[in-house]
Amino acid sequence: MITMYSDNVIKILKQNKSQVGDVIQLTTTKGQFEGMIMPRSNQGDQNSIVIKLDSGYNIGININNIQKIKNIKSIKPTISKPSKMSKSNEKGDIAIIGCGGTIASKIEYKTGAVFPALSGNELIESYPEINEISTIHTKNLFSILSEDMTPTHWSMLAKEIETQIKNGAKGIVVTHGTDTMHYTSSALSFMLQNIPVPVIMTGAQRSSDRASSDAKINLISSMLASKSNLGEIGVCMHANSNDNINYVHRGNRVRKMHTSKRDAFKSIDQLPLIKIDWQNKKLEAINKYKKIGEGKFMVKPKINDNVALIHIHPGIKPKLIDSLSDYDGIVLSGTGLGHVSTNPFNDKLINPIISNIKSLIDSDVTVVMAPQTIYGRLNLNVYTAGRLLKSVGTIGHNKDWTPETAFAKLCWALGQTKKNNEVKQLMEQNIANESNEKSVIL
Amino acid sequence: MKCGLEIHQRLNTKKLFCNCESKEGNEDNKVVTRYLTTVKSEIGEKDKVSHFEQDKKTQYKYHVYDNTCLVETDNEPPHEMNREALELVIKIALQLNCHIVDEVQIMRKNVTDGSNTSGFQRTAIVGMNGYIETKEGKVGIQTVCIEEESAGIITKKDNMAEYRLDRLGIPLIEIATDPDIKSAEHARVVAEKIGTMLRVTGKVIRGIGTIRQDVNVSIPEGVRVEIKGAQELRNIVELVNNEVQRQENLNKLITKIKSNFDTKKNKINYEFKIIDLTEIFEGTSSKIIKSNMKNNGKVLGFVIKNHKGILGTELLPNLRYGSELSDYAKTMGVKGIIHSDENLDKYNFSDDELTDLKVALEPGKNDAFVLVIAKEHMARKALEKAYERSLIVTIPEETRKAQETISHFMRPLAGSARMYPETDIPPIEITAQLIKTLKQNMGDGLEEIKIKLEKLLNKDLAKKMIESHKLQPFLTLVNKGYEPKIVANVYEQTLTELRREGNNVELISDEQIEDTLNQYQNNKIAKKAISKILKLIITENKPIKQIIIEQQLGKITGKELDTIIKTETDFKTIMQKYGLRVDPGEVQQKIKGK
Repeated sequence: MITMYSDNVIKILKQNKSQVGDVIQLTTTKGQFEGMIMPRSNQGDQNSIVIKLDSGYNIGININNIQKIKNIKSIKPTISKPSKMSKSNEKGDIAIIGCGGTIASKIEYKTGAVFPALSGNELIESYPEINEISTIHTKNLFSILSEDMTPTHWSMLAKEIETQIKNGAKGIVVTHGTDTMHYTSSALSFMLQNIPVPVIMTGAQRSSDRASSDAKINLISSMLASKSNLGEIGVCMHANSNDNINYVHRGNRVRKMHTSKRDAFKSIDQLPLIKIDWQNKKLEAINKYKKIGEGKFMVKPKINDNVALIHIHPGIKPKLIDSLSDYDGIVLSGTGLGHVSTNPFNDKLINPIISNIKSLIDSDVTVVMAPQTIYGRLNLNVYTAGRLLKSVGTIGHNKDWTPETAFAKLCWALGQTKKNNEVKQLMEQNIANESNEKSVIL
Repeated sequence: MKCGLEIHQRLNTKKLFCNCESKEGNEDNKVVTRYLTTVKSEIGEKDKVSHFEQDKKTQYKYHVYDNTCLVETDNEPPHEMNREALELVIKIALQLNCHIVDEVQIMRKNVTDGSNTSGFQRTAIVGMNGYIETKEGKVGIQTVCIEEESAGIITKKDNMAEYRLDRLGIPLIEIATDPDIKSAEHARVVAEKIGTMLRVTGKVIRGIGTIRQDVNVSIPEGVRVEIKGAQELRNIVELVNNEVQRQENLNKLITKIKSNFDTKKNKINYEFKIIDLTEIFEGTSSKIIKSNMKNNGKVLGFVIKNHKGILGTELLPNLRYGSELSDYAKTMGVKGIIHSDENLDKYNFSDDELTDLKVALEPGKNDAFVLVIAKEHMARKALEKAYERSLIVTIPEETRKAQETISHFMRPLAGSARMYPETDIPPIEITAQLIKTLKQNMGDGLEEIKIKLEKLLNKDLAKKMIESHKLQPFLTLVNKGYEPKIVANVYEQTLTELRREGNNVELISDEQIEDTLNQYQNNKIAKKAISKILKLIITENKPIKQIIIEQQLGKITGKELDTIIKTETDFKTIMQKYGLRVDPGEVQQKIKGK
């Protein structure tokens, strides 16, 4: 962290044999200040030395205003490092698998830096109440941020869940960063079919270092859900801005719909599956779902990450589509009922991309359509654009999947087989309720 | 005695970390329900305050207003710090002769009483090491901070508290002096001086609660105690004196307790056993017990060893040592405690009840006892707190809350462990260039304005004006060429009189006052009509020109006055008839000249 200081600051501190954690007295053109040298974040003026005063306040003093530095005392800094991966708890009925993210982040109080590093053990330490729900087995699988997750991580997670189930876990809670949690939960719904124990993913919109964090309630609710009879991948988060009710959403029908609210996760075009009153430990099914024990447990973790998700927009350039020819699969997040520019009236201003899409498909790239409206069902029959897309071999007619679910499913389908017709078949088959059979009036 | 002041003043800019208005809002009929969780500090130092509040498990209900957004509900990260507020605070810090930090680092101060939806208050040091001059000598300014105002409490009961969010996030300047204040009277002088200085910026919010003084008192043989919420300056003197006396008397009492327990340590020990006494009081005729036993209330009690006579000892007139225990118990939501040093007659216990009580509790001859009547869970927590307090035989470092001139325990004094950096907002660089620009645009400080006013007005009116929250509009009108004495009189006399008569003078805008004065300066109305017109502005809510015509308040002067004087020659009669419409000087002149 000290590296976030400018070279000049580092040089002067070195000359004075001062380092982060030392208490120093600074004589400056503005008077004297005394405090402990803090590490700097990458924000702000790197020429300012941050010191923590006795009162707990931090201030920044510009190196150019400093006339003299006097070392008062040296204190070894206690900057915590991310805890080691795979640090496991003893056996317990519920396995909590950590994938990093805000829910598992902890603050380094002196610096204020947030690490995605809360181990399962620390989670229990922070929220002793969760021990009242069940015995717990913890496993820190990754310590990464949500936006760094890759399809390969999905695969590793699926295998870990399988291991935990084999080892006797009666329920599984996966803690995960929220930004891409719905991608992961979608992928898991294809990789782990007919799960024999509930698998609940959860996260936090406010980091657990603050008293107002939603982490504890989300974790407690998820543990309660992991003791239910839910035989599908669930995502359990706040139902609204209040701290009273949580929802379990279907993993491949949920989407993060807000940048910051506690209830950012919404079920798309269907009701959530389960409503949880965590204080009274009450669960209420509010939609139909597959129960555990229905069907044979199948683990299909293979994935192909050579897939792109493209947002169609006005004026999109044909060369963008052409540049995608190295991919094995493309999901187009199309406008309206599932459209791209086709220019049926041959207007000179317009550069249609339909022929470019056709070239991709002709060269064995699987092209899948999804609605950028998020809500509603695709229909490639209504307008020319849809009809053309369908005729060149675009997959997705009549689906109401989200772009993220279509993407995760395509990664998965391309991991299962290399044959185009089989990929197409997998995509069109409704594997884990990822597409509604009927458009429900909500 | 050493005493320092902490002055908080709301600033009249938009909110500190969002774009909402800093005002009293209108309620939006939406409520957000939240709980707060204990947060463990990583450096091992458990913050006493957070820990203390956590014992309560309170549900918080936040009322949403038209001037709140997702930021106040902790549903959106804070925006960057309001620049106008920051620059204002830098200016004030410069006027207080402070050194401005090169980089403002925003901190989170853990506050888990629910008064902030995030569980912390954002605060930052802007200036340090300044001073002000007083007749009694220099008083150091330790720090000048910029911070966010907390949410306003609506109600607090049992395990639930309701707050209003319109207040949350309003920028505050916090000015903390060094403990250089020599007497209670000196404290008042310093508070007044800083308060006036803030007001003359014209950029602070006025009204009850918009300025608050906390007092830090340290006495030899005593400890540092922070007293919050002294709203009235006149109370500061007595508050400080009372605190000194409380600590002195507490010291004497502590010596006695220690000798009772034959110990030199700062903590005593005795067996703590909560006894359920509910059965004794079933069918009681004591009203206070009966009403508190409703809804499954229980009577619980415990014996305090060697405390007979101690609980009843007065620390201040009408403030017994028992109150110290009671204050701790109250933090758990109970209304108070009953203890054996009190005159129990007022509770109207029957003799049987008293006998049974003693049988059940078995106090020794030097022991006292404490009772609480509340729901069992709460009563137990309350007794635990009272017990905890009874074990401490030093003066605890506390944050206390002022109630008129006496203070009551609020929470343990906050340590530095409750501070950590706000990572959602980048630090703010304060360049030498910015400080230079701000200094150039500083405007008049307190001293300059004082000199200016003394030139414009007589001494009394000048003094009134500098204290006035209408100082800014006054200066604006004077700069526009209005007669200073008339303007000052309107703001300081006319409006005050109208208010005393029961008129809502808030309804008169500065523009309307200017319009009225404009009519006067242009000879359209007489001086006496000003007050009448202002009053009519409130009741009629019409343009001033219309009011003048409708109410026939136009000035009678020149030839028109001549016509009147042709028939009336008696000054008194004329004034009785046309007093609001004429200039008495002109009338007299015309009579003379006749």
